[in-house]
Amino acid sequence: MRIGYLLLLFVIATAALPAAASETPLKKVSLALLWSPQAQFAGYYVALDKGIYAKHGMELKILAGGPGHSPVQTLNNGTADFAILWLTTALQQRAAGIKLVNVAQLVQKSSMMLISRKSSGIKTVADMNGRKVGLWGGDLSIPPRALFARHGIKVLEVPQSHTVNLFLRGGIDVTSAMWYNEYHTILNSGVDQEELNVVSLSEQGMNFPEDGIYTLEKTLRNNPSLAEAFAAASLEGWRYAFAHPDEALDIITKRMREAQLPSNRIHQKWMLNRMRDLIMPANSPATPGLLTEQDYRAVGSALQRGGLIRNYPDYATFTGRHRAGEK
Amino acid sequence: MEIQTRNEANTTVITITGRFDAVTAPDYEKKVQELIVGGDIRIVVDFAGLDYISSAGLRGLLVTAKLLKAKGGQVRFANVAGTVKEVFDISGFGTIFQMDATVAASLAAIA
Amino acid sequence: MPGKSSIVIKLVLVITLCSTLIFAVALGYNYYSSRSILEKELESNARNLSLSLVNRVETELSVVSRVTEGVARALETGRYSEKELHTLIRTTVEKNPEIFGSGVAFEPYAFSKTSRLYAPYYYRENGKIAFTRLDTSYLYVPYLLWDWYQSPRELGRLEWSEPYFDDGGGNLAMSTCSVPFYGETDGVRHLKGIVATDITLDSLTKLVSSVKILKTGYAALLSRNGMVLAHPLKDAVMNESFFSIAEARNDPSLRELGKKMVAGETGFIRYNSLVGVRSWMYYAPIRSTGWTLAVLFPEAELLENINRLSLIMGVIGFAGVLLLTAAVVYIARSITKPLRSLAEATHVMASGNFDLELPVVRSNDEVGVLAQDFQVMKESLKEYIKNLTETTAAKERIQSELQVAADIQASLLPRQFPAFPERSEFDIFASMDPAKEIGGDFYDFFFIDDDNFCFLIADVAGKGVPAALYMMVAKTLLKSEAQRLGEPDQILAYVNKTLAIDNDSCMFATVFCAILEISTGTVRFANAGHNPPLVMDSQGVRYLALKSGFVLGPMADTVYETERLIMQPGDTLFLYTDGVTEATNLTDDLFGEPKLLNALQDGPRQESDQMIHAIRDEVTRHANGAPQSDDVTMVAITYRGTVV
Repeated sequence: MRIGYLLLLFVIATAALPAAASETPLKKVSLALLWSPQAQFAGYYVALDKGIYAKHGMELKILAGGPGHSPVQTLNNGTADFAILWLTTALQQRAAGIKLVNVAQLVQKSSMMLISRKSSGIKTVADMNGRKVGLWGGDLSIPPRALFARHGIKVLEVPQSHTVNLFLRGGIDVTSAMWYNEYHTILNSGVDQEELNVVSLSEQGMNFPEDGIYTLEKTLRNNPSLAEAFAAASLEGWRYAFAHPDEALDIITKRMREAQLPSNRIHQKWMLNRMRDLIMPANSPATPGLLTEQDYRAVGSALQRGGLIRNYPDYATFTGRHRAGEK
Repeated sequence: MEIQTRNEANTTVITITGRFDAVTAPDYEKKVQELIVGGDIRIVVDFAGLDYISSAGLRGLLVTAKLLKAKGGQVRFANVAGTVKEVFDISGFGTIFQMDATVAASLAAIA
Repeated sequence: MPGKSSIVIKLVLVITLCSTLIFAVALGYNYYSSRSILEKELESNARNLSLSLVNRVETELSVVSRVTEGVARALETGRYSEKELHTLIRTTVEKNPEIFGSGVAFEPYAFSKTSRLYAPYYYRENGKIAFTRLDTSYLYVPYLLWDWYQSPRELGRLEWSEPYFDDGGGNLAMSTCSVPFYGETDGVRHLKGIVATDITLDSLTKLVSSVKILKTGYAALLSRNGMVLAHPLKDAVMNESFFSIAEARNDPSLRELGKKMVAGETGFIRYNSLVGVRSWMYYAPIRSTGWTLAVLFPEAELLENINRLSLIMGVIGFAGVLLLTAAVVYIARSITKPLRSLAEATHVMASGNFDLELPVVRSNDEVGVLAQDFQVMKESLKEYIKNLTETTAAKERIQSELQVAADIQASLLPRQFPAFPERSEFDIFASMDPAKEIGGDFYDFFFIDDDNFCFLIADVAGKGVPAALYMMVAKTLLKSEAQRLGEPDQILAYVNKTLAIDNDSCMFATVFCAILEISTGTVRFANAGHNPPLVMDSQGVRYLALKSGFVLGPMADTVYETERLIMQPGDTLFLYTDGVTEATNLTDDLFGEPKLLNALQDGPRQESDQMIHAIRDEVTRHANGAPQSDDVTMVAITYRGTVV
C-alpha cells in the first residue's frame, strides 16, 4: 500500500511540474528502455524527476524494459517515440526493415566482458575453446560470437539468463557480463577480482558502442526538433546525474523499489560510475552523445563481415544528418 | 706545654716543651709541688724544647724555687737559650737562678 | 604544623594503596576469569543455538529436497501418463505444507515429440491448489533459461536456487529446489527434465528473525551469494549482500568474513555487527543450500552481569578500603597522639620552658615508656638548667665586677692628653688597651717637683684579680715612693721591699722607672726586669742600653741601679710592654721587635700621640682580627728642650 501511495504522489508530482514550468502544453513523449529501472538509465530518470524534459517542452513517460519487452517492437508499433538500443541491434533491425535512426549515442564503447575463474585454467580467448560459455540471447551474443569466430574457436554455448548464478555455481566456465552490472554482482557474491580472469571485448577489437537513443525515421521527419530536444534533455539528465550521484541514486533506488526490484545502492553506485566512464570516457576525443562515423563504420562492417547484415545505410542516413535537407 | 719527668742520678729531670705561659704555668706548679711532696727536692729543669716563656711562666719558676728553698732543695736550669734566654736576661732572672749549658752539667752541679 | 600527621599519612597511604592494589588485582583477575569462563560457555551456547537453528532449517529444507528427489526418481523409474504426472505433482504439493509449488519441466521434445516445451506446475493460491503451465506462463524467457532449470541441468545434481522474488508479485522471497531426472534411450542416459519445488522463505526467515538473544542479539541468514535473507536490517533483506555492505562500509575485513561464511566455514568471532554493536558471532553453514546462519551475542549485554558484579564488588571494595583507612587513621592517631603531644611539649621545651606539664600517657607500650623517660629527662634538664643558670649568673656577676674593676683600673691611669699643655719642654702620650681579661699593665707619670718629671711603665705578671690588685698596690706605692724618694733606684728598691713582704704567691712586676730633669734633658732611670725602651734621636732608633735588674716583688733584697741618658731636644723615648711585640695574628705569628722598629722608623715622630696611634694601628693590622691576648701599653715622651 505504501508503494502505491508513493507512486500516486509521484504521478501527481510529475503531472504538476510541467504545468508550473511552462505555459505551452507539453508534448507527450515516451521512451522504451532496454531493461528494468537501474543506474544504466539514470540519466533519463533523473532528467524526468528534475523536470529537465519538461523544461525542453516534453512530458515523458518511461516504459521500463525487462524480460519479454522488446524496445524495438515498442518503437515499431508506435507505443514508444524513442527507445534505448544497442548499435548492433539497431543496425540489424534496420537491415530487417525497421527504419531506425540514431538520435544520440550515449555508451561510446563496449562494456561487455567474458569472465572465467582463474581456477578453470582459462586465460585467453583461445582457452575458451570447447568450454561452456554463457551467452545472452539475441543481439547480445553478436560481439562474443564474432570474437570466437575471429579466434577460430568453438565453444559450448549455454544460453544465459539475467543472473550469473549458473556461473557462480560452476554450471558454466565462462559467463557473459557487463562491466557496469554482472561483473560487480560477481564481486559482491564473494568472488575476488584476483580469482577472476576478465576478457573485455573492447580490448579485443570488438569495441562496439552500446546504448543509444533511437527513433523511427518517420517520427524524426514529423518533428525533427523533438528528437533534438529529447537528445539534449537526456544528455542534460546524464550530466546532472554524474554531478549529483547521491541524488541520482536516490531517484534510481526509488524507481527500483516501486518496481519491486532488489535494490542495492552500492551496486547502483558502481553502475552509475561505470556509466560515466562509458558515456563520458576520460581522455577521449568523442563528443558525449555523438555517434562517430568511424565507430559506426567499424560496427557496420564487422556485422557485414560476420554475415549478420547484408548492408547498412550510410552514416548520414542512420544518424538523420540529412534530415534538414529532406525537410 | 708538655711536661715530662725522669730520674737521673738521684735527681729529677723535668723536660718542658712548647709554651710556658699563664695557661700552662699551673700545670708546672702542680707537677713540681707533687715532686716536692714526694720528697724529690733535687730538680733539674730542661728548657731545650721550650719555645716561649711569659711572665706567668717566670712566676711559676719563682713559686717552685721558693718551695724548694723552704724544703732545703735545689733547682738548676739547663739549656736556657734563644728568646727564653732573652726573657731571663731582661727580667733579671738570669741573675738569681743557676743555669747550665747542658742537663749533664746541671746534674753534675747538683751532685 | 608540618609533619604533624606524617606517620598517619604514611600509614594510610601504604595500607590503603596496598589494600587497593590487592583488591584491584583480585577484582581484575575475577573479571578476567569470569569473562573467559563466560566466553567459553558462550561459544558452546552459541554453537548449540546456531546448530539447533541450522537443524530446524535443514529439517524443513530436507523434507523439500527429499520430496523433490523422490518425484525425480519416480519419474525415472516409472512410466507416467500426463494425467498420472499431474496427479503426482498435485499430490506432492497437497501433502507437503512446506511446499509452495511444484512442477516438472521437460527438455525440448522430451515429453512429446510434437510440442517443444512442457512444464506442468501446481501451486498454492488462496488456500487452494492452482495449476499453470510454465511453458506458457513464462511469456518472455522460456523456463529453459531460468536458474532453477539451468543449474541442476548443467551440474547434474540437486540444486537450491539463489533466493528470488516471486514473479507473481507479492513480496515473497522464494527458493527453488530442483533435481534433474534422466531417461535411457538405446542404453544412453540422457536428461529428460527438471523437477522443481518452490518454497517461500517466509517461514524460514520468520524462524530466524524470531530468535532473540539477550536484549538486542539476533540471528541472521545469508544466501550462498552472501545475500541477506534474514536480518534486523530490514532494508538489507533481499537487497544487499554481505559483500555489498562491506563495500559500502569500505571494510575489507567484513568481506573476508563474508567469504569465510559463504565458503561454508564455521566460526566463532568477536566483531562489530552490522548494526554496529560489539558482538560475539557464531556462524555455521546450512549444508543443503549453502546458506549461512549466524547468531550474534551483544558483548555489552553478555558482560552486563559480570560488569554489574564487578561494579558491586568495586563498591564493596571501595567501602572496605575506606573503612580500613578510617581504622588505620584511628589506630595511627591513637599511637601518634601522645607522640604528637610529646613533640609539642618538646617544641615548648626547646624554647626553654621546662615548667610545662607533660601529657599523661597511661599506656604501657613503647610510647608509654618513652613518655616516662621523657618526664625524667625533663626533670634532669630542668635541674641542670637551673644549676647552669645559677652558675652563669655568678659568672656574669664576677665578669661585670671585673669589668668594673678594669674600668676603675683604667681610670687610675692618667688619660688626659695633652697632659701638660702649659709645659712646652716636653710632651708625653700614653695608652693602655686592656686585653679582654683584667690585666696587670700600667703606666704613670707625674711631676716630682717643677723640674723633675717621673714616668714609668710596668707589667704585672699574670692576669685577673690578683694581678689587678697587685698592680693597684704597685702603682700606688711607686707614685708615693717616687714623690718621696726622687731617685729611680731607691724608688724601685723601696717598693720592692714593700711588695716582697708575705709574697708567697711570688707575684711580681717588671717596671721601668725614669725621671726627666727638664732643665737639662737628663733622664735618670732604673729598670726592674722590664724590656728596654727605644730611643729615637738623631742617630735613629735603638734600644736603650740598660742594666736589667730583677723584677719587682719576689726578693726583698734586690738592688737596683740608676743610669742616665741625656735627651737632646727632639729626642723621644718609647716605652712599651710585651703586649706590643707579642701581639699575635690568627696564625700565631708575633708582631715582633723588627716590625716595631720599622714602624717607629717609618712612622710619624714629631707628635708622640701620632706615633703611638700609628704603632697601635700597625699592631691591630697585624692581629687581623685575632683576639688581643695581653694588654698593649705604650708611653712616648719627646723632649723639646727648655724655652729660651
